[in-house]
Amino acid sequence: MELIVALGLIIFKVALLIAILLLLPLPLTWVERKIAGHIQQRMGPMRVGWHGLLQPVADGIKLLTKEDHIPADADRFLFKLAPILALAPPFVVFVAVPFGETVSVLGNEITLYVSNLNVALLFVFAVIGLEVYGIIFGGWAANSKYAVLGSLRTCAQMISYEIPMGFAVIGVVMMAQSMSLLDIVRAQADVWNVVYQPVGFFVFFVAGLAEAQRIPFDLAEAEGDLGAGFHTEYSGIRFAFFMASEYAIMLLVSVLVVILFFGGWNGVLLPLPPLVWFVLKVAFFVYLFMWLRFTLPRYRYDQLMAIGWKVLLPLSMANIIITGIAFS
Amino acid sequence: MSRARNTIGTWIGWAFFADLANGLALTFGYMFSRSVTMQYPDKEKWLPYPRYRGHHFLKRDEEGEIKCVACELCARICPCYCIEVVPYEDEKGNRRPAKFEIDTARCLFCGLCEDACPADAIALGQQYEFSSFSSRDLVIGRDNLLTKPGKAATGGGVVAARLNTKKDVLVETNEPQGYNWWRNIRRT
Repeated sequence: MELIVALGLIIFKVALLIAILLLLPLPLTWVERKIAGHIQQRMGPMRVGWHGLLQPVADGIKLLTKEDHIPADADRFLFKLAPILALAPPFVVFVAVPFGETVSVLGNEITLYVSNLNVALLFVFAVIGLEVYGIIFGGWAANSKYAVLGSLRTCAQMISYEIPMGFAVIGVVMMAQSMSLLDIVRAQADVWNVVYQPVGFFVFFVAGLAEAQRIPFDLAEAEGDLGAGFHTEYSGIRFAFFMASEYAIMLLVSVLVVILFFGGWNGVLLPLPPLVWFVLKVAFFVYLFMWLRFTLPRYRYDQLMAIGWKVLLPLSMANIIITGIAFS
Repeated sequence: MSRARNTIGTWIGWAFFADLANGLALTFGYMFSRSVTMQYPDKEKWLPYPRYRGHHFLKRDEEGEIKCVACELCARICPCYCIEVVPYEDEKGNRRPAKFEIDTARCLFCGLCEDACPADAIALGQQYEFSSFSSRDLVIGRDNLLTKPGKAATGGGVVAARLNTKKDVLVETNEPQGYNWWRNIRRT
């Protein structure tokens, strides 16, 4: 009986997580377009619903009813597989991500995470590394020069930015003496990691921008020079899968930045519930992602590589050494 | 000396991303500045200036008679030959147009017909919403031209308006001037 209840709870949590992650891109697209509009002194979507609130629904209907086109010379199997491969890793990663300690529902303490892995951080990086397969397959299978160029760029970019990203969190792991995200947040109860690890935070955030394929590192889908990059040939619901995966990764990087460097659900000043604090912080970083997108231009390809290997990698190395000396 | 210090200051600024912060501050300021969007045709509409050259209209004199004397000067001067005038003699013995057709599909709205007219009968007014699904509907006859709106008295403002698919973009406002669209533009 105990086992069945525990299993049911896990299934319920996973289902809830999937529902939230699938539905969250809808308001996020609206928010992004509104932010884009207002930064450019426009209005953004205004016509569907109150201030365009139903615009994502209209977009969803449009994407669902569009022709699902596969190019003539495409590798049909890989072409169909790629959107799923791109969408799955960000969803899988959230299994290891905690959103808080516990809440009590009807007298029962329910944990706000699906599982408390003791190697959660390793799991996160391992699974996020798989993300590149969806993009590579998508670009390759479409049999289009723009798609291949976009996916080649993405491959190089993701590999070179995962290294500084991985090094940047080592400082955090050294501080918490654990790779469990839950323990990392507990270790920040008094002082957030960003105070001790500003360089680590900077490297992680910049590498996260590159991981999420956001401006200024969105070389994979540089509209100006590549059409739409790896998803040039995708249409309809498969394209929506790629977009959903992009938003899920953006959300994931925001969540990771909050957990690793900004104290997770630990609040300051205001006595708000932990979950509210967590959501507020994540919302701020999602906003920062969008704000940066409409502020900065895109980096050139060689600049991207130079930043990754000549700036971020040495910085993250130095961060490890200094953290090791200072906190040993 | 001061130049060297400036260079060092710039480098220190770059090291701490002062330029990035400046850019972010600028876009943040723009985010909360007023939008310059004119919500046409849902909520607002731009009123043309008095000298705006929109749809042609024919004028009447004080007795309500059409001013045009069918001299065909407008048809002659028209660079794209889009005006066709056929004269006739009315009961009083005046020369008047029996047919006065303007093909607005071909018209380039140069206003030369207005300049050429000796009787001050034709002018280009303020109407600019006359798109059509058929180019045949764009040939406007004499009686139709007499009902078109004239020159705007004031103009250059944005007024409240509402889209009406049957008629036009309806203007419903008390202030004829409207607000000045340029005041919303942030110039820093």
